Amino acid sequence: MKKESIGKILLGKWDTRTIVGVAIGIALFAVLMVYGSITVFTNTNLSLAMIVPVIVGGLFGPLPAALACGVGNVLADLIGGWGFWFDWSIGNAVLGFIVGSLKLYGANIDEGVFDVKHIIIYAVTVVVGSIFAFGIITPIFTKIIFGGELKISIAQGWVASVSNIIVLLVAGIPILKALAARNARGRDLTKE
Amino acid sequence: MKNLNIINLTKGETFLHQLSGTTKVRLFATLMLYVMMSFDLPIILPLFIFSIIGIISLKPSWKVIKPLVIFVVAINILNVVLYWLANPLCGLEYTGDQTILFAYTDYLVVTKGTLWFLTIRLLKMLTAFSTSLAFIMSITPSELAAGLTSLGFPYKLGSIVEIAFRYIPDISRDYENIAVSMQCRGLELDAKKTKPIERLKQMILILIPLIVTSFDRVGNISNAMDLRGFGKGKKRSYYSEYPERKNDKIFKLIYCLITIFCAYYIISGIITPRDPKMWLYWR
Repeated sequence: MKKESIGKILLGKWDTRTIVGVAIGIALFAVLMVYGSITVFTNTNLSLAMIVPVIVGGLFGPLPAALACGVGNVLADLIGGWGFWFDWSIGNAVLGFIVGSLKLYGANIDEGVFDVKHIIIYAVTVVVGSIFAFGIITPIFTKIIFGGELKISIAQGWVASVSNIIVLLVAGIPILKALAARNARGRDLTKE
Repeated sequence: MKNLNIINLTKGETFLHQLSGTTKVRLFATLMLYVMMSFDLPIILPLFIFSIIGIISLKPSWKVIKPLVIFVVAINILNVVLYWLANPLCGLEYTGDQTILFAYTDYLVVTKGTLWFLTIRLLKMLTAFSTSLAFIMSITPSELAAGLTSLGFPYKLGSIVEIAFRYIPDISRDYENIAVSMQCRGLELDAKKTKPIERLKQMILILIPLIVTSFDRVGNISNAMDLRGFGKGKKRSYYSEYPERKNDKIFKLIYCLITIFCAYYIISGIITPRDPKMWLYWR
């Protein structure tokens, strides 16, 4: 197995397969955002959509994950009809980038590599990424785009961080393990 | 909200359908800027009325629209109420008014300023919704990609959005099928009968097959696109694009004027900050 440079992993390979993968990720994100969510607070849902960037990241790399997450959020806003919240889309894109960095620390869903070590690193990135994206990035952009309303935005940010952490840990780890196990055929052969 | 069939894949017959993709995307982008820039009633209300007229002129199937509209209005009203609960004086910064109309406790008060601010906020959200609804119903995925390219985005991004837009109805259909067949096997998804965390765990059982089937498509679609030579050239032209017609020219004038107005409004707001920040009917 060839070792790829970090820069290349970060950017991802933009061939047709990646483009289609990101597109399907966006569609899945938008559908899950509209269907599979439980309202918690204003503009904040316990939404299963956040799983999608993790999987896109695992298959294609962090930047495709960020794109899937950000554009997916814009499309979901378009369909769902709760108005446009570009500050949240940017926050989501940042979170997508961080949680989608599975390949950086060696987990590879495509070939079935997802062990206890990777689960721990994944959990850390989820917690750090959520707090960074919704506790810091989103309020900054709220201030820039809409001005004011900062108090509510920060409160929303914390609720969003907590609900995302719950979703990404409770639902994310079993799904990643299931997908890795599904793709794990022939893994023992290449390791020899 | 059980239906995402508002996306149409073929061009319709009505006036708005017949505009070119470039015109639709540019018009929509300027209108979104127009809605987002202010909280002023005289600015928002005309667009609200025009977008409703636009939706009616598209001759939509009301059976699909009705549950969507009810859902969105309910969600937005809920949002406004939660917004008020989070900060009962949220209108103060925008209106500068503290006249108390009702007071339940010391914290939960309804002021004139807040009531006005939240009403306009609700109207603003509904305007954004009705405009984007008219946009979605009038555009096809291919036109959307053409329009995005005309705004200067790389065509690969246009293709991504196009494919995503094209597959949303398919994936939502898959979701429904999987959810129904899982319920046949005894999975309880009713929100009233199960706790949120329990529901989350059960959703995983739906998600795994959904993710697997969705990403299995990727190979098929990308092979089909590769076979047709996708991504070989630096540029790409669109089947759905054609030279401007008369209607497109009229709308070009309209969106140019709106852009100039938005630029004037935003820049003048930066140079001399408005006080109060929104239009008030009692002044």
